[in-house]
Amino acid sequence: MRFSRRAVTLSPPDPDCGQVGAVLQAYVDGELGPQDGERIAEHLEHCDRCGIEAATIDRVIEAIRRQRPDLEVDALDRLGCFVDRFTDEVPPGDR
Amino acid sequence: MWSSVSDVSDEPRRAAFREHVLPELDVMLRVARRLTRDAHEAEDLVQDALVRAYRALDRFDGRHPRAWLLTILRNTHYNRLRKRTPDLLDDEVAQRLPDTGVDGRQEGTPERALHDDFDPMVRRALANLSAKHRAVVALVDLDGLTYQEAADLLEVPVGTVMSRLHRARAKIRAELERAGFPEVSR
Repeated sequence: MRFSRRAVTLSPPDPDCGQVGAVLQAYVDGELGPQDGERIAEHLEHCDRCGIEAATIDRVIEAIRRQRPDLEVDALDRLGCFVDRFTDEVPPGDR
Repeated sequence: MWSSVSDVSDEPRRAAFREHVLPELDVMLRVARRLTRDAHEAEDLVQDALVRAYRALDRFDGRHPRAWLLTILRNTHYNRLRKRTPDLLDDEVAQRLPDTGVDGRQEGTPERALHDDFDPMVRRALANLSAKHRAVVALVDLDGLTYQEAADLLEVPVGTVMSRLHRARAKIRAELERAGFPEVSR
């Protein structure tokens, strides 16, 4: 799970289901800070309702992610070679 | 083509640039394809953006390289659009940005074969979303951007990304539930 630079925050120390529901998407997306993430994880461990909701969100995201088109390896290789080549050639203009 | 200026003192700079950039080539190319809707054009755009990024490396603080590169990619895309159509207004340029149609290709991997019935329904549900909702889903779920990165690219507040994402996923989920797929039912 990733934690982004702009973490969504959760204010109360012991969040209820409504408060958890408000940030559940951000939690599943890894957008909560580590402390808030742990508090949500604790809540999900003992709350069936929120736990099922989190798992359902996760399944929807997983289904969407399966539609992710693969990039051709060749295209990425070409870009990698381009980086190698032009960093040897481009004048570093802003120095 | 540029004249060769490589020398030994440039090596740390080159190494730093590669360290920041190489892990982000995949996401840059994905986003570029959404912006340009064309595979070749997307590669050209990424190359242009990389050159600009290298030239601006000294102004980069080393934090959040993906966000930095995506901003350069977006601005490079704007500049290319403006060069081609000088009369285009700024808001018209911005409106061209969030094209995030989902690629309809079917990949033949065994994992996908398990979802033969399910996946076409998901693709249909994605296609049925409004352009704004589809844009956010594509950038966050397909391209792996954070809320903030998607917000920066689309030039909308983070809260807008979150609410669009929530609504979009809810719509997809509702369509899947209506179609009788238990995988997304509570």
